[in-house]
Amino acid sequence: MTDQALPASLRDAWRLRLPFSRRGRVLVAIRFAALLALVIVAIMTPGFFTAVSLFSLLNTTSFIGCVAVGMTFITLSGNIMSFALSVTLSTSGIVFIATLPLGLPGALVVAFAFGAAITGIQGAVVGYFRANPIIVSMAALALITGGATLITQGQGVYPQGEAAAALKGRILGIPMPLAAFIVTVVVSQIVLSFTRFGRQLYMVGSNWRAALAAGLNPARIVLGAYVAAGLCTALAGILMAARYSSGDLELGIGYDYSAISAVLVGGTAISGGEGSAIRSFIGAFIIAICQVLLLLHGFSTQIQYLAIGVIVLVVIMLQTLADAE
Amino acid sequence: MNATATARNAAAVAPADAAGTREAAASPPPVVGVRGLSKSFGPIAALTDVSLDIAAGEIRGICGENGAGKSTLVKILTGVYRPDEGSVLVDGAPAAVTTPRQAQELGIAIVAQELSLCPDLSVEDNIWLGSLRVPFLHKRPELRRRAAETLALLGASHIQLDAAVATLSIGERQLVEIARLLTRDARVLILDEPTATLTDVEIERIFAALQAVKRDGRSVLYITHRLAEVYTICDRVSVLRNGELVTTVALKGLDRAALIELMLGRPSGEMYPEEARARGAPALVVEKLSLPGIVDDFTMTVRRGEILCIAGQVGSGAAEIIAALAGLVYDADGRVTVNGRPLKLGSPAAAARRGIMFVSGDRAAEGVFRRLSVLQNLVATRLHDHSVLGFLRGGALRKAAARLASSVGIDRRRLRARAEELSGGNQQKLAFGRSIERQSDGVLLMNEPTRGIDVGARAEIYRLMRSFCDEGYALVMASSDLEEIVGVGDVVITLYRGRQVGHYRRSEVSMHRIVADITHPRDATS
Repeated sequence: MTDQALPASLRDAWRLRLPFSRRGRVLVAIRFAALLALVIVAIMTPGFFTAVSLFSLLNTTSFIGCVAVGMTFITLSGNIMSFALSVTLSTSGIVFIATLPLGLPGALVVAFAFGAAITGIQGAVVGYFRANPIIVSMAALALITGGATLITQGQGVYPQGEAAAALKGRILGIPMPLAAFIVTVVVSQIVLSFTRFGRQLYMVGSNWRAALAAGLNPARIVLGAYVAAGLCTALAGILMAARYSSGDLELGIGYDYSAISAVLVGGTAISGGEGSAIRSFIGAFIIAICQVLLLLHGFSTQIQYLAIGVIVLVVIMLQTLADAE
Repeated sequence: MNATATARNAAAVAPADAAGTREAAASPPPVVGVRGLSKSFGPIAALTDVSLDIAAGEIRGICGENGAGKSTLVKILTGVYRPDEGSVLVDGAPAAVTTPRQAQELGIAIVAQELSLCPDLSVEDNIWLGSLRVPFLHKRPELRRRAAETLALLGASHIQLDAAVATLSIGERQLVEIARLLTRDARVLILDEPTATLTDVEIERIFAALQAVKRDGRSVLYITHRLAEVYTICDRVSVLRNGELVTTVALKGLDRAALIELMLGRPSGEMYPEEARARGAPALVVEKLSLPGIVDDFTMTVRRGEILCIAGQVGSGAAEIIAALAGLVYDADGRVTVNGRPLKLGSPAAAARRGIMFVSGDRAAEGVFRRLSVLQNLVATRLHDHSVLGFLRGGALRKAAARLASSVGIDRRRLRARAEELSGGNQQKLAFGRSIERQSDGVLLMNEPTRGIDVGARAEIYRLMRSFCDEGYALVMASSDLEEIVGVGDVVITLYRGRQVGHYRRSEVSMHRIVADITHPRDATS
């Protein structure tokens, strides 16, 4: 009965609802088989369980993971994904580095506000004008890239002083990016499961018209989802800029794709209204593990891209099949 | 896997045969039948040992409450589901119907509820689209002639072959869909609630078309919740209850109460509740409401404790008035006051603040959150009352949901089920439960409150409506179901093409008057 004490959305993050139909069960079985295969390959791969590869695995996963959790808010709200989170990440990093003369707290506030604002504007356009989210995010990608290139002249920015060094250390022995990722997942999941906003986000993602008819303000909730996405992404951007001691438009390239892969592999529904931050956390790790395994087996980066592409295709096909029930 | 299933099917044929032959003896040879059909979804048995036959040239009604197994039966016949046990017979021989395509090739065709026509193509193109009989090199004149012939057979020669389907009314589209299936040599047409969105004139046309199909020697399987239609169009009716076939009987000589009793398994009792006990002060006053292009100058006053019905055919504006009062029509204009306070139109949130609650007739699109749990659906509108600083109070929400579930008659054990797992009737109760009790001087708006809901659940919904009105709610509903309007309305306003025609108290209202008003024969030239 402890189960009863948890809200449904959090419970669903753990519990697999076993479908009645044979096809549904087969689909669940496929997922578990894939996971099992992954674990077996990992165990059999020499060098996987070494400190070095695990450490680098956790670090790369942390950055992608933060973006993935941000993306989860957008996906849950019924707006599929955003192509603009990659440049949000890199420009937040640039803003952070550029405002470091204000001191670390000031730079953090400005960078977070920047990330929340540029993503929030997209959310407002998507929410209030009901514009197609994919197109809006592509337009935002072009606008932000163009604007940033214009201002930075395409050059990277480098910090003055050592104010950002504090973000490169460890907290309780945990590398900063990983700690930030875990905090992001926990906070996001709490927001999704235990707050009014979180619950309303599921409703809007599940059925916009019904949410409207129920007296909710769906546009505002979508805006909130985008702001949350912006904050998560800015966090990744700040930590990355601190880590590489530079802000550069190149930093985030490919991250929105990796993030949406993590969201989908984790099992959040592309049609919205179903999923969780914890699922995206798991998804990010599954993808990262695949990448590390391919690397350890000597496959090139190109092959890794191919593999991730195949995984995402398979996952989205499985999801569509399950939805067609 | 397939081989074992077939073996099981063959074994199941034998014991059920006796019942089948008895039924067949009285009528022409069966075209399609089922024997010993069983199908479960997990622990729930949707169909248990169902055997029936449909004769050539017969229009067979299928009746039963929601969850009785009607749609499962249809889905097995059309190859969407495979039965766990039993078999489908075509012309008396077991047939493998494992895909919708196979079903079509065997001549079993369903007239889809969401019509499967391409709106931008012409009627003729739609009729032939995807047909296996269209040769690679089109014989255009011949195809055209046959399409015209088929439409003529259905009494629909007024439909232009070159018109784009998008320009046709829903009823006409349904006729085109039927024509499309007939050109594919459909021998059994299955119609599932075909009339829910049709006007009376269109319903007449569909019925005439079905009679023509029957005269042509083909059969029809007609599924509906509207019992009046069963009596109008069907020869015999098969009644399903809890997944089992109760009986198949001729409709001649079977009175309505007896049919309802067969469906429910108990006497129906009173379907409709009593008249309002006490009427209070005006709760909702609407003056000069206009919705551009739809409704003109609509005025009404609804008192506390009262059920006001707006009667009108589809397109009359009745449903749109309800939507506008719920804040869902952006260009609505007019003066509306709730309990004496003015209401800003065009905002659902503003309507909710004034205590207006809207229960949509279109459950899938506007009613329930299908992927969320029953609990979450029930408390959807009252998160504000049960949260502190934006954080939800889980315990309070669960208690509230449990209380609401019992007050609208949903099993509390189902609180954690997903909304989409509930039957249509229970989903409607869910939408209802969500909307009540926020304040007892509220106004409830309902659109087609019992669309697609069976007889048993219907009586329950009416009782609920009445009991909440007795507690002080005012209720406004739009409906195209005349029986329902006469049955539950304390006040009835009739609407024709966006204009108010009549205003009746319960004692003055009659089916005849309403029909006359909403069809408005004086200028019903179309």
